[in-house]
Amino acid sequence: MAELNETIHQPVRLRVMAALVTLEAGNEVDFTYLRDLLQVTDGNLGAHLRKLEEAGYIAVNKTFVERKPHTYVSATETGRRVFREHVSALEKILKGK
Amino acid sequence: MNISPTEAEEALAAIQAMAQKTRKSIASSGAYIFLIITGIIWLVGFLSTQFLTGAIVVYIWVGMSLAGSALSILLGSRTGRRVRSASANATARRAGFFWLFLVFFAVAVIAVARPTDGKQVTMLIILFIMLGQLAMGLLLSFSSTWWALPITALALVGYFLLPGIFYLWMAILGGGGMIVLGLYIRLRW
Repeated sequence: MAELNETIHQPVRLRVMAALVTLEAGNEVDFTYLRDLLQVTDGNLGAHLRKLEEAGYIAVNKTFVERKPHTYVSATETGRRVFREHVSALEKILKGK
Repeated sequence: MNISPTEAEEALAAIQAMAQKTRKSIASSGAYIFLIITGIIWLVGFLSTQFLTGAIVVYIWVGMSLAGSALSILLGSRTGRRVRSASANATARRAGFFWLFLVFFAVAVIAVARPTDGKQVTMLIILFIMLGQLAMGLLLSFSSTWWALPITALALVGYFLLPGIFYLWMAILGGGGMIVLGLYIRLRW
């Protein structure tokens, strides 16, 4: 039975994962774009991304585009599976209302 | 970890809202740039066609189109950096070939049909551009390309019902409409 995931359930991390799993598998999103989408600060987003990365749910890719540093973020396969399980657990709680 | 059904409902609503916002944001990221630039070209180009005569009209259209294309490529490539995809280059190449072939077919149709006046040529070009835009939307999932249909309808209404002010009609409703829609997508979506 799917269980709630404490790491993902935190409101900002929940929205981060929701945004990342909406992208097609293999696609990655720019850090600043994600920050604007979520309307959070650089520091706040950075802290939550670190937690998700440590859990293995997202991959952070630091690269250079036209000599400027860019950070890209994507959901890993594990992250997508765990997120699906989390959503399934939420739906079960709702059905048992 | 235990939560109440109300909390679960709120979490699911937050997930759904974020997914929808992401999809809309990605879909509209390039559309508004294309809409505003094309709108400005149409506004200036059709106004000059309505009120000016001679070679200056051609120069305005060619100059605006070249500048618009360069600006679209520049701004489009910047916007494209927000989301990177392994298949993006291949898709962009296919889209490029599609537009190239569409231009070839448009030129061929105009050469075969031999339209008798400028309005007919203009209408054919508009139809081909809007067809291309719709095809991009349907094939590449750019969900914000539905605007091609009302613009085509407006162009057909102007062509058949208001031939005397067709260019003015296209400048204000076609070009102006695209600018307003582009700004709306940018600011409100």
